[in-house]
Amino acid sequence: MRYCKALLLSISLCFVTSCTVVKEYNKIAINDEDMKLQSALCERFETNFQIYREAAAGANGGKTGGGCGCN
Amino acid sequence: MAEKQVEVVGVTSRFFCAFFLLFSMGLLAQSKDSLSQFKKKVLENIEIDMLMSYYEQEGTHAAVTGGIGNEYLTDYTPTIVVRMPMGENGILTADVGLSAYTSASSSNGNPFNKSGASANGEYEDDDDDDDEEDDDDDEYPRGNGGDPKGSPWVASTGASAKDVLTTLNVNYQHASEDRNTYWSVALGGSTEYDYESFSTAFSLAKLWNEKNTEFSVKGQLFFDRWKPIIPTEMHEYEAFQETFLYNEDSYFSGVPIINNQGTIVASYLPNQFESYTYTHRNSYSISMSLSQILHPKLQGALFVDLVKQEGFLSNPLQRVYFQDRPDYYIGNQQTLGAYTSPSNTDLFHLADDVERLPSSRIKIPFGARLNYYLNEYVVFRSYARMYQDDWGIQSKTFQVELPVRVGLSWKITPVYRFYDQTAADYFQPYNQHLSANPFYTSDYDLSGFHSHQWGIGINYRTVFSTPQIFSFGLNSFQLRAQKYNRSDGLSAFIVSTGLQFVLDN
Repeated sequence: MRYCKALLLSISLCFVTSCTVVKEYNKIAINDEDMKLQSALCERFETNFQIYREAAAGANGGKTGGGCGCN
Repeated sequence: MAEKQVEVVGVTSRFFCAFFLLFSMGLLAQSKDSLSQFKKKVLENIEIDMLMSYYEQEGTHAAVTGGIGNEYLTDYTPTIVVRMPMGENGILTADVGLSAYTSASSSNGNPFNKSGASANGEYEDDDDDDDEEDDDDDEYPRGNGGDPKGSPWVASTGASAKDVLTTLNVNYQHASEDRNTYWSVALGGSTEYDYESFSTAFSLAKLWNEKNTEFSVKGQLFFDRWKPIIPTEMHEYEAFQETFLYNEDSYFSGVPIINNQGTIVASYLPNQFESYTYTHRNSYSISMSLSQILHPKLQGALFVDLVKQEGFLSNPLQRVYFQDRPDYYIGNQQTLGAYTSPSNTDLFHLADDVERLPSSRIKIPFGARLNYYLNEYVVFRSYARMYQDDWGIQSKTFQVELPVRVGLSWKITPVYRFYDQTAADYFQPYNQHLSANPFYTSDYDLSGFHSHQWGIGINYRTVFSTPQIFSFGLNSFQLRAQKYNRSDGLSAFIVSTGLQFVLDN
């Protein structure tokens, strides 16, 4: 838990300290498909079974409820 | 069973009709729009994703049989996602899927049927009305000349052994002319034999700071309804109350029930069981995210959700056994000493009650993503999440991916994910609960554990020539294979594939 908190705090600090504006012409790397801040479409099935087999869900930009999760 | 299949086919047909209607609308919009405009659309062409996954798991803590038993499960999920441009600024997405599963655990809602678990496989009957999902009182067959037998370790063959979940979601997203504001609305639904869900969602996203910063908010509402299916012994107790061991219409009439000394007794009475008075389950969530470009090669996002669930949050098929109540069994008394061993194929412990959980739950997950573009060949992707709810569960998740480009078209992505959670306040293992407690579950999904998931993804993207199917060209192909091991012994494997086609002009 300690490492996880440290990571989240580090990322949060990055947001606070960020003051650079990256221009459109300089976003070649940012626009790379793998730089997207979301899961791949195929990954939805993994997220689905994780929601069933684990108690935690959410905070990943996806589904947060619905379904019995009973199997 | 036949009725159930007709119902599933009917629902599936309706969903596919809706899907093709939406698809036709998209084609119409596409042909109108192709006459004009040089302005770049938010989506240029119709995209179709054809997805499929196969999931398989094994474990020894089946919740339906009170925290021990066979958890073998398979699940096939064919899915089609179609994204269609609607004018210059809109995208309509239709997402239709099926999930066809078999579950050894669910099958043992009624362990006393014609499978090998019951009557030594002697029972023969060609019709399928021998399961607990029918209302027919003649639904629990017995062996020819033998007493019924069952086991938490042997899958049964009742209708609850398999089912098909059908889902449909439709989403419309609209972008502003300057592409700095996006809003969307969505409607969705899913249905399976004992469960229905209807959902609606809305979202708003705003970009500023030369599109370096984005804030989005999303609200989701789920309105679900159970058709509760309860274990055999509760079903008969609910129907015949105190006379359920004697009433000649009861399944248990004349069935020998033994205690843990192997003596035949007539004192089994699961009178803690109460019928359900409500069956709805509603979920309300609000999700917020803030993403920021931190450097030409680094960007991250923070996510926070607030989820409130209310209503029927228990699973009525999951048995619970109390340590302060006598134990009662049906089957072979010689197996009493080996009940919790997978070698038990002919003894079944009758439940004291089914799972009881509070009618309210609040979940608060907090997550973050950070992606770094190392070079033109490698990207580092990471995700972390902390979670807490008012049932006493705390968890943390950490995932890393390392997509590595191989040539122009291929990419290989190793994946590792770690997860752990503390147990819910209401969890106890098999036969450890106290009957005085108001809430109890032996579902190991709510126990304390950690898990490791690892695997690989392979991506192919067409660069020059594009294989064609009708007017659609193959754009990309994805394959992901993942292994999942949970510290309580559950192991799973999932393989997912995705083919993306784009309509050629």
